[in-house]
Amino acid sequence: MRIGIACPYTWDVPGGVQAHVRDLADSLLALGHEVSVLSPVDEPDRADLPSYVVPAGRAVPVPYNGSVARLVFGPLSLARTRRWLREGGFDVLHVHEPTVPSVSMMACFAASGPIVATFHTATARSRALQVFGTALQPALEKVIGRIAVSPAARRVVVEHLGGDAVLIPNGVDVARFTGAQPLPGRDDRPTVVFLGRIDEQRKGLAVLLEALPELVSLVPDVRLLVAGPGDVDEVREAVPPSLRARVELLGLVSEQDKPRVFASGDVYCAPNTHGESFGIVLVEAMATGTPVVASDLEAFRRVLEDGRAGVLVPVRDPGALAAGLGALLQDPERRARLAQAGRAAVRTYDWSTVTRQVVEVYETVAVAAPVAVDASLEAALPEGDEDVDDAGRLMTTLRRWTTERVRR
Amino acid sequence: MTTRLWIVGIAFLVGVYLSWTAGRLDRLHARVDASSAALDAQLVRRAAAARAVAAHLDDPQSGHALDEAATAALEGTADRREMLENDLSRALKAALPVLVHDAAGESALAELETASTRVGLARSFHNAAVKDTRAIRFRRIPRALRLAGRREMPQFFEIDDTAV
Repeated sequence: MRIGIACPYTWDVPGGVQAHVRDLADSLLALGHEVSVLSPVDEPDRADLPSYVVPAGRAVPVPYNGSVARLVFGPLSLARTRRWLREGGFDVLHVHEPTVPSVSMMACFAASGPIVATFHTATARSRALQVFGTALQPALEKVIGRIAVSPAARRVVVEHLGGDAVLIPNGVDVARFTGAQPLPGRDDRPTVVFLGRIDEQRKGLAVLLEALPELVSLVPDVRLLVAGPGDVDEVREAVPPSLRARVELLGLVSEQDKPRVFASGDVYCAPNTHGESFGIVLVEAMATGTPVVASDLEAFRRVLEDGRAGVLVPVRDPGALAAGLGALLQDPERRARLAQAGRAAVRTYDWSTVTRQVVEVYETVAVAAPVAVDASLEAALPEGDEDVDDAGRLMTTLRRWTTERVRR
Repeated sequence: MTTRLWIVGIAFLVGVYLSWTAGRLDRLHARVDASSAALDAQLVRRAAAARAVAAHLDDPQSGHALDEAATAALEGTADRREMLENDLSRALKAALPVLVHDAAGESALAELETASTRVGLARSFHNAAVKDTRAIRFRRIPRALRLAGRREMPQFFEIDDTAV
């Protein structure tokens, strides 16, 4: 199949959607499909830019949804999008986050035929949808197959756009985590691992620290390994002085070291208090073979298969958390059993499984004619200049304007 | 003079709105046609796969029942389609899970599983297209001016496809 993928966010800036698109494109290529990705790129000459990426121009930073989004929008990017569609001859067009004003939305406007859209956002407050909902409707109506990456993202689709979306979870590269070696310098004392932003309250590190004294009374030689960005000193302050020697704070760890962090623990603890839409970090821990003790949140319950593939404890309850962790640390047989169940459970989330499901969607929608440029847009717009983009043109205009004002 | 300009302006805007909505309806009907064709193809595929599985069942009675339901679904007329496909879903639910003993039976079962997933996808996409189209067709202006022309009102397709 020839597949055209539109990614709305700048390729060279790290982000969840970009990573998703990259992994999806790689596994589609591995399955023998032809893939082309249209995405904003800040430095199109970079050596590490994959050959399947077609740059759509530089992005303009715009305050959006409470943070700064880097977006591409304008007549020249639209012309590039159109040319990409025409020259690609795609069997399927797959747009990501089409409600964000960027290349995905433009591709929706410019194309007709089999279009699939994936919705990532789980926050219900999308300003674009609130303000332009009605104006976006005609473009979004062209989408034949809708995919949501989590039940929360699916709810957003149902509430704002009407209709349903197929649930296909985010993929995890399970092989990268299996068989990881512990970090150097570990001994065989029982270790609990926490991984996540340490200064973000909803990740629940405070609950775990509160549970620590009771856990020590259950498992006297227990240790706590904390990894994740945030103010390390502040966390150290929060630990009672007598227990500080047991808590090791690693700070931010690299993607490469993440599997080794999981492998360094006997149990992975996710004491999150709320607001998790998926729980990819649980899947990663399970892929490593580290049994999980997690808060009983909807998303975690799904990943842990209602407790068959991990231990669920009441949310924000340090006593119950200590009891759950203590019981599991003292029961090696149960840990082995859960590790095995976890490895089986994560197969659902491996990119190979996820990609197969996405291809199933492609094949279901691509029964009729391939993707074409919408006729109503074909004549109306100028062709894009190879060397200019909307950001560049905006800058030139501004510069000319300011110099003229200075001269006056 | 200004009144005339106003009238021309408003008439122009009304014209743009009407042709834009008519174009939108055109696109939506094309989408419904495509999704309906896709759903039809996947239903046929599922019925064929169900017949293949029926031939491998140990219990001849349930094999016969499944084969009958699948044949009825394949040969049924459009107006009874929903009912017959639902009967097939029910027959599948009654017959499964089954044990198959040879490679041919296993591949038939795998094909049935794929076909059933596709039926679920195609049905969900079809119903979404129908919903979008009906939402516009039931609006007052498109209905009064018959912007959809003589095209039939698209219908939802509701069956239980959770069998496999």
